[in-house]
Amino acid sequence: MRPLTESETQTLFTKLANYTGRSLTNLITETITTPNSKTPDRHVFRIQGCRVYYVRESIANLATSVARDNLLSLGTCIGKFTKTGKFRLHVTALDIIAPHARYKVWVKPNGEMPFLYGGNVLKAHVGRWSEDCPEHQGVVVMAMNDTPLVSRSSRSGFLGNGY
Amino acid sequence: MANTKPSNMAKSKPSSSKPSSKPGSKPGSKPSGLGEKKRTGKPRKAKEEVKTSREKQGPKKKRRTYTEKELGIPTLNMITPAGVQKPSGKKKGKVFVDDPDSLQTILAMVNAEKEGQIESKMTKARHMEEIREARRKEAEARHESKRSKLEETKGELKRQKKRPSESDSVKPEGEDSQARGKAKKRVSFG
Repeated sequence: MRPLTESETQTLFTKLANYTGRSLTNLITETITTPNSKTPDRHVFRIQGCRVYYVRESIANLATSVARDNLLSLGTCIGKFTKTGKFRLHVTALDIIAPHARYKVWVKPNGEMPFLYGGNVLKAHVGRWSEDCPEHQGVVVMAMNDTPLVSRSSRSGFLGNGY
Repeated sequence: MANTKPSNMAKSKPSSSKPSSKPGSKPGSKPSGLGEKKRTGKPRKAKEEVKTSREKQGPKKKRRTYTEKELGIPTLNMITPAGVQKPSGKKKGKVFVDDPDSLQTILAMVNAEKEGQIESKMTKARHMEEIREARRKEAEARHESKRSKLEETKGELKRQKKRPSESDSVKPEGEDSQARGKAKKRVSFG
């Protein structure tokens, strides 16, 4: 487990910025006050193998005492670096991205299951959506009760006909 | 004397040629036991002289080693290419970014890039929307003009249909005028 290098950080942030926009800053600066520590704890990105984890700094510091081979995972997995150096998001990152998402689409209950089974979001299934959403922009698809379903790009096929 | 000989020989081995080169020794004289005995005195002195001179000089001085920069050797002729050589005193391997400030700078760069992309997308979308709106208006105007034309022709046709009926009605009007000229019929029940 180690911190990310500069190029890795840039790749990761570029991917995350597709969905979060400017509020990505909150991910870095967010602090949590824990009763044991005097100073508030911040979250950091750590890479273990090829996977990137979003983890509290105190836990990351503790994890340095575990050998690399023995450490399976820690914190929340954001995604992984491919062998070509690209970054792929995992579905576990959804809980971290969703609160900071810039563009959202709310799907009606009758459109949830077809979408989760791989279908497109039809125009009829869209309950509401963020205004001024450009084409091919990363969006987070949510159920009407604000449960994030998945993050995708708003390509023409994704939002049925007419969008 | 027999005791001293081997030790003498051992000591004088490195400087064995010295006595012959001395100006006092006879050149071409055959080496014999007696001759050696006579010569043994002089080499000792010479050896001592050498020793003293070495002691005066002290320990052997180290030769100065020149760095590559001082020698001014062109870099291309080196074994390691110029680009490969790493500066000494720097961290080996990857350089990690962990402090919030550097993270913020990277984030600002990424954000600026993304904002630019989104902005260009938005302007493009707005431009396309304008073009679409203009086209729609044009189409609407064309449709309106077509409809008005149709209405006009319809009205014309209606008027044309009405005219013959008017011409038909003209005749009775003429009759009427003739009738008007006559006295009105009156019926009296008196």
